[in-house]
Amino acid sequence: MSLFKRLYRWVDLRVGIGEIADKELTGYLLPRNINAWYSLGSVLMVAFAIQVVTGMLLLVYYVPDAEKAFKSVNFIMNEVPFGWLIRLCHAVGSNTMIAALILHMLSTLVMGSYKSPRELNWLSGFLLFSLVQGISLTGYLAPWSQLSFWATTVATNSVSALPVAGPGMVEFLRGGKLVGPATLGRFFALHVAFLPLVIGVVIVVHIFLLKRTGISAPPFGRSDTKTPWQAERYRYQSHPGGIPFFPNYMLEDTTSICIYLAIFLGVVFFWPSMPFTPDAFVPADPFKTPAHIKPEWYFLANYQTLKIFPNELLGLTVQGAAMTFLALLPFADRSPERHPLKRPLFLSLVAGGILLWIALSVWGHLS
Amino acid sequence: MTRNLTSLLILIPLALVLASSAWSAEAPESACLQCHASLPDRLGAPVNLWQKSVHAQNGISCNSCHGGDPKDAPTAMTPAKGFLGAPKEGAIPDFCGRCHPGVLKDYLSSAHGRALGKGGPTCVTCHGNHEVLKASLTLINEKSCSRCHSFERARIIREAMQQTEAHIQGIELRLGGYRSIGVDIERLGKELFSVRNSFHSLFHEVNTARVKSESGRINAELSKLDRELQLIDEEQVRRRVMGGVAVAALLAIALLAYLLRRTFRD
Amino acid sequence: MDSDGRRKFLGVCLAGTAAAAAVAAGYPVFRFLAPRSGATGLQKLVISASDLQEGEAKFFEYGGSSAVLVKTKGGEMIALSAICTHLGCIVQWVKEQQHFLCPCHGGQFATDGTVLGGPPPRPLAKIPVTVSGGNITIG
Repeated sequence: MSLFKRLYRWVDLRVGIGEIADKELTGYLLPRNINAWYSLGSVLMVAFAIQVVTGMLLLVYYVPDAEKAFKSVNFIMNEVPFGWLIRLCHAVGSNTMIAALILHMLSTLVMGSYKSPRELNWLSGFLLFSLVQGISLTGYLAPWSQLSFWATTVATNSVSALPVAGPGMVEFLRGGKLVGPATLGRFFALHVAFLPLVIGVVIVVHIFLLKRTGISAPPFGRSDTKTPWQAERYRYQSHPGGIPFFPNYMLEDTTSICIYLAIFLGVVFFWPSMPFTPDAFVPADPFKTPAHIKPEWYFLANYQTLKIFPNELLGLTVQGAAMTFLALLPFADRSPERHPLKRPLFLSLVAGGILLWIALSVWGHLS
Repeated sequence: MTRNLTSLLILIPLALVLASSAWSAEAPESACLQCHASLPDRLGAPVNLWQKSVHAQNGISCNSCHGGDPKDAPTAMTPAKGFLGAPKEGAIPDFCGRCHPGVLKDYLSSAHGRALGKGGPTCVTCHGNHEVLKASLTLINEKSCSRCHSFERARIIREAMQQTEAHIQGIELRLGGYRSIGVDIERLGKELFSVRNSFHSLFHEVNTARVKSESGRINAELSKLDRELQLIDEEQVRRRVMGGVAVAALLAIALLAYLLRRTFRD
Repeated sequence: MDSDGRRKFLGVCLAGTAAAAAVAAGYPVFRFLAPRSGATGLQKLVISASDLQEGEAKFFEYGGSSAVLVKTKGGEMIALSAICTHLGCIVQWVKEQQHFLCPCHGGQFATDGTVLGGPPPRPLAKIPVTVSGGNITIG
């Protein structure tokens, strides 16, 4: 017996890892008609892991002090060996992660996987989406550049449109009347400690829900479940005769992850200016607002929505309503039909929503 | 069902927080701009002109030249707050020279400067006043120069400066490109700024022979900057090669995993 | 090639490339974290002789570590590593007794670095000093 096999046997006799592997890997059966879109969850876990690892590495040299933050980031970019690579991976990674997250949500929408009994999967996923937006926003301030400073000023300012408590909330959010060193302190704490922890916990909940309810079968091709779930008692949706997660679907996951990584590194190496504007390399100056401060691409639609409404409160309300509706979608859309072509109204709403979002983003970018 | 929905109402504040990551515009304004923007003609026009100027880009505001207090509208234009107003023609070189002393010195010793007050040009004759742009050789043109004299001598100076100017602009462009990806070019930028200044101030003496002799020295300094930029170029090429290898390796792994997956399809 | 052989071949290729990629990804991380060469601090230090009185000691940073310069009652200049050879604490100068005392476990060293008492196994390491004119050059 080889050394490796003996080691495996030694551990297996004590911990029973073979049993886990049988149940969770080779014995974890997925629907036969599963497609590549289902691998976006794994892609997102890798993307999040990259953010965690590069973030920890950046913490080695980054100094969260308004006097020193910009210099320390400049030091990472220019003096530390491969500092530019780690920093670019973190900055580009946040963008590509959000792109993958949007695709993951869209595939869930189009294939109707959010529907009963998976309302909680959708809700926890939506919560993750909001948290990732939050972690992006708080991380944006960290380099303490003109871009960070003014983007954060503008972003936090819109809260002031809320009635009564608005101005107080802005001050609480910023830790002062204006964005300043106090804001950096609290945003840094949120960015590196609180939000990653919460995101990690919600990811665990998201996967726990997936494992308990069972993975949904795509609405295309033959269905392997004859009787739909009734809201009478708990039932794990199994896929008898399906393909095993290991090795079959894990290989598909690997393909998707590598394609994602290839695109991600493609941006890092060949489009390194993607996450930045020239203002990202000018130290923050509270007395000088640069012209044309724009949010990141994934906030452009929100930005433009606020601008087109005559009243900020109205703009905020419309966005809040749209987001709430999207979060509660599984409770509004209760028909069991999941095939997109058999849901023409829904499909056109999704297509219209995407077009509206793109149009608002482009408009926001150009205006 | 109802209870289900009520418990989900906690999500509404969440969605609002999300929307709060949305954006609105905010711009602090000085008392000068607030008042003058709404005034007609001569009193209002400078606001728009200034906004397009190199001064505006660099945060040089009305009070930087004209004095006064932009934070307090009622006393903004009182002499007590150091308000100066517009200079008389003869005082223009000194007015601008407070911030551009080197150019002032060269100008005063030139034929242009010696003719000050006797119909000779001041700073604003060529550079304009409120809409002052980043100086370039296009300021030396037939239309402008021939207001006072023939273009011939100016043309010779301009031609002598042309090549060096193009060199400076080329380096400036490359520095801008590196800056936008986070390369620290602060030192190189300052060096170029100083070379550029000593080069541009050359013109103010309007002395062709001196332009020609000094151009050699300036080109040598520019070549030094070129060599440093060359090093950055090489580093960038190395990075791209490294990136190409990384992307190719990942695509290869993706392909292998795909092919291996196909062997399991039955 | 039969399907089993093909599968095995592809599997080995995949595992090999993936392992190579993982190692390659580790290299930038290693370089990122590795101590920077040339960042080991001063290798040569010049101080003015008038800065140090007889019977006194002056602590300073040398070669990225702590060192001490002492001028004995006899006027001799000696530079030593200030790191106790026992467990690495920084020794203190006891002016009254004209020796070094390590505050951690009571190790004692003479002005030339030799062990006078306590647990230290070795004398303090010496650093070359030259005095020329009014300047003391260490290193």
